[in-house]
Amino acid sequence: MLSIKNLHALAGEKQVLNGLDLEVGAGEVHAIMGPNGSGKSTLAQVLAGREGYTVTGGTVTYKGKNLLELSPEDRAREGVFLAFQYPVEIPGVNNVYLLKAGLNAIRKHRGESEMDAFEFLTLIREKMKLMQMDESFLNRGVNEGFSGGEKKRNEILQMSVLEPSLALLDETDSGLDIDALRVVAAGVNSLRSPERAIVLVTHYQRLLDYIEPDHVHVLSGGRIIKSGDKSLALELEKRGYDWVKQEAAA
Amino acid sequence: MSTVAAKNTVSPLERYKMAFESRWQGNDELTALRHAALEQFLSAGFPTQRDEAWKYTNLRRLESRSFTPAETSALDAHQPEWLATAGTRIVLVNGHCLPALSSQVAQPPGVTVLTFKQWIEHEPAAVAAYLKEQDQLTGNALEQLNLAFFEDGVVVNLADNTILDEPVYIVHQSTSSAAQRMSHPRIVVRAGRNARATIIEHYLGANDAEYFTNAVTRFDIAAGGAVKHFRVQQESPRAFHIGHVQTKLAKDARFSIHDIALGASLGRSGITALLEGTGAHAALFGLFAPMGNQHLDAHTRLDHIAAHTTSEEDYRGIAGGRARGVFNGKVIVRPDAQKIDARQSSRNLLLSPTAEIDTKPELEIYANDVKCSHGATTGQLDATALFYLRSRGLSESDARAALIRAFAESILATIDLEPVHAALEKQIDERFKLVNEAKA
Repeated sequence: MLSIKNLHALAGEKQVLNGLDLEVGAGEVHAIMGPNGSGKSTLAQVLAGREGYTVTGGTVTYKGKNLLELSPEDRAREGVFLAFQYPVEIPGVNNVYLLKAGLNAIRKHRGESEMDAFEFLTLIREKMKLMQMDESFLNRGVNEGFSGGEKKRNEILQMSVLEPSLALLDETDSGLDIDALRVVAAGVNSLRSPERAIVLVTHYQRLLDYIEPDHVHVLSGGRIIKSGDKSLALELEKRGYDWVKQEAAA
Repeated sequence: MSTVAAKNTVSPLERYKMAFESRWQGNDELTALRHAALEQFLSAGFPTQRDEAWKYTNLRRLESRSFTPAETSALDAHQPEWLATAGTRIVLVNGHCLPALSSQVAQPPGVTVLTFKQWIEHEPAAVAAYLKEQDQLTGNALEQLNLAFFEDGVVVNLADNTILDEPVYIVHQSTSSAAQRMSHPRIVVRAGRNARATIIEHYLGANDAEYFTNAVTRFDIAAGGAVKHFRVQQESPRAFHIGHVQTKLAKDARFSIHDIALGASLGRSGITALLEGTGAHAALFGLFAPMGNQHLDAHTRLDHIAAHTTSEEDYRGIAGGRARGVFNGKVIVRPDAQKIDARQSSRNLLLSPTAEIDTKPELEIYANDVKCSHGATTGQLDATALFYLRSRGLSESDARAALIRAFAESILATIDLEPVHAALEKQIDERFKLVNEAKA
């Protein structure tokens, strides 16, 4: 589904990604771990098409298309979803507008008809229940005045409404208490399916207790320096990152 | 070329003088007042940018035109929509009331709504006395120009303790035949003690007409009275619009205005509130959104004359293209006017690198026990918010429109009169091409 080859990228002026390779297949859950500054968030931003990040080399192929040529909205419409590390507060644009406009733009792109108000509300109510969110959230400004946990839950709510093919979660576990982490993890797990790929970018192993990955990668210096299964995450938790770096340097 | 040269030998002010002389003759008191006003206008001339209050707004383009007094006319086939309000509607076409288009509902006892022409016909002495007292010595040159040339308008009188449940909706419609014409409508609203009313003024113009509207609106609110005013300026994109609103508030009187400016090539609204009685409160909300080459200027003046008076002010500007916006908000606290609470906020959004908004809060405080705050910001659309919306599938233009609407929403949300609120939301959305309406 996603094939990244020899990706080089700048964040602003700074070279952050230095030849990153990653293959993600449908139905798989990948965890990308690494110390601060290793390039985890840059990877997520580059894949979502954020301005200020410049690809200087390599290719990213998504469902057979050159992902890097697509605008952020076209990536979203093709099924790429990024759950933000720091979801943006947008007073005056309400959550229900964003969900409906996003969903209908994606449906239109797929050649489907727009959802009517009743269908839409039924869908939203069901998803909100899963995320244990109160319906009053719908008419509030996007993330406006939300706590850290509420913002992350809102990201997963959006994801479950938009039903992406490729879900990228950027440090979704950061700032969550254990109850919120369980709710968020349940939301993500409910989206696991043979047609969908999930990439978790995380600093800590904790999230992986709740969302079990098929593959774990260590990102360091802008490249993947080691890959393994979920046991690699446990080992990193115990031993830190230095031994992997030394192994890679050797 | 000789005809052009001949035209230019007549100075702009002389043209006004000639227009006046061909229109107003006679020896009555009102004509004498008009004449005095004309003389004041002629001696002061059009304000220039050397005048602090006109620093950012150049009237040379207006001055160079030869506008003559407008006649009434039939409406154009295609004209902008009027608001769907209940209650009394009075339509002025090119500055003249047209009873055929107006709809008067029965007013509660103590309330009279009449046209200015009717008032002049019935009580010429009272009109002259009122104007002499209220306007002869006050106001700037353009208000004097209105006094010299005004022909019609609306007069609303509310006796003590009367309450108007439905708004009075005044439509100022300019037609395409108003091209190169000027109109000087005049609105007077006098609210007695504890009286309540809502007055809407809506300025609209035919799309291609170049004309000049120079309007004066006066509110006089007695003790305990409350007036809400909505002023929506949607003139033709080639029009010149100058509006003067002045409100006097007695003890415990309340006044609110929504000053919305979307139309005109060059538009200016000057809003003055005189808080003359203790406990009086004035709330000024404004939204101006010049696009293309428009120039829209909002000048407000809150004059805290009495102690224990309060005011709040929230203006927002959105400028795109090569447009220019101006906000100047002056708050004056007179000596001995203690215990004043005045809050002012001016927030501005620039949609293009060539757009400009000049914002200038001015505080003149001569008392010591006062709470005055003001804040002014000018910024662009938040790039992070834009990316966030696009990453959810919204097109760039929809994302921009949603953020622009959100910026305007804080003013629109304070409009508690649904027909006005709905019409303005629609206007703003169409203006910024918000296609995905989603209100589940």
